Amino acid sequence: MMGSRGTSAVLSRAARMRQKLQSALEASALDIEDVSYQHAGHAAVKDNANETHFNIKVISPKFEGQSLVKRHRMVYDLLTDELNSGLHAISIVAKTPKELGS
Amino acid sequence: MTFPMATSTASTAAAASLRILPAPATPSSRTLRFPPILRRAPRALLSVSALSKLSEASPVPIPQEPTQTLPDEDSIPPRPGVYGVFDPAGDLQFLGISRNVRASVEGHRRKVPADLCASVKVAIPDEETPDKSVLTNAWKSWMEEYIAATGKAPPGNVAGNHTWIGPPQRPADLRLTPGRHVQLTVPLEQLIDRLVKENKVVAFIKGSRSAPQCGFSQRVVGILEAHGVDFASVDILDEEHNHGLRETLKTYSNWPTFPQVFVGGELVGGCDIISSMAEKGELAALFQK
Repeated sequence: MMGSRGTSAVLSRAARMRQKLQSALEASALDIEDVSYQHAGHAAVKDNANETHFNIKVISPKFEGQSLVKRHRMVYDLLTDELNSGLHAISIVAKTPKELGS
Repeated sequence: MTFPMATSTASTAAAASLRILPAPATPSSRTLRFPPILRRAPRALLSVSALSKLSEASPVPIPQEPTQTLPDEDSIPPRPGVYGVFDPAGDLQFLGISRNVRASVEGHRRKVPADLCASVKVAIPDEETPDKSVLTNAWKSWMEEYIAATGKAPPGNVAGNHTWIGPPQRPADLRLTPGRHVQLTVPLEQLIDRLVKENKVVAFIKGSRSAPQCGFSQRVVGILEAHGVDFASVDILDEEHNHGLRETLKTYSNWPTFPQVFVGGELVGGCDIISSMAEKGELAALFQK
């Protein structure tokens, strides 16, 4: 039954990503932009695949004192399920509230 | 202990093309050497014999000032041919072969010191689009004539001299294994570990460094090259030589996407981080460590 898969199947990937990032990172700002159309025909994008490429901009106090690699890993770790289910690449801008001005 | 990492020798191709082969002495030896072009051989022979010898061609002066235009297109035609560039003393500096002799000469006088480019001798086959063998044979015959007279190749044609033809191609991509048929004696993870520790900067990319298959890989290669970074590249899509690398590297580096750039054995990041560091001017310091 389609209905029995629960709400997560109904939500778009973008919405699921938003939920996961927002709650875990306590993000003060979170932009998620689907740029999959820019990668149509990309070797790794299967036929008719959508929601494969995203730009994510996230401002979180939890990035304080973390290197860029660590911040990106925090984001990737939260999105492991998505990366294992067709999410191909994300472009990440990860800043702390203090860095916003720079 | 054997070390299963192999590098391609393709980058020596440019030098190899300058190697002088013995001239085909007779038409029959030519047919033996180039069976596929047998059909065209008589025509090729005609054009080569129609070209003048190096010593008999008349030199065309090249203006010293780059702003001055080259002599007219009759003397230096924008056509396929061979050419020899002479210094002011009349010594041959470089023998070239080109699909557009005029453009090549123009390129040389812009890039090469003016005291090496005083005049040029040109030989243009009769055909509009001569077969490649016509050109290479003409080039060889001039080269042999010069070597017979002087005992050496022109300075610009000596291997390692990059004055005229520029440095060799980009280094080849590194390969983790010699091929899928080879049984690995160590785990792939260990090969990755060794590779990123033995090479100061390593970029794991999709596609080769000369033809990346993904926009992010392309950007990373472009940034590294623009910073003059001497880096090794590994094509994670090369299933023949790097089979299994994609998944193993994700685990090794705890990083789910590509490209990935390592410096001194540590993951620095992917395209976003490299781009952002380049914008902030932080890359130079990183690579100097």
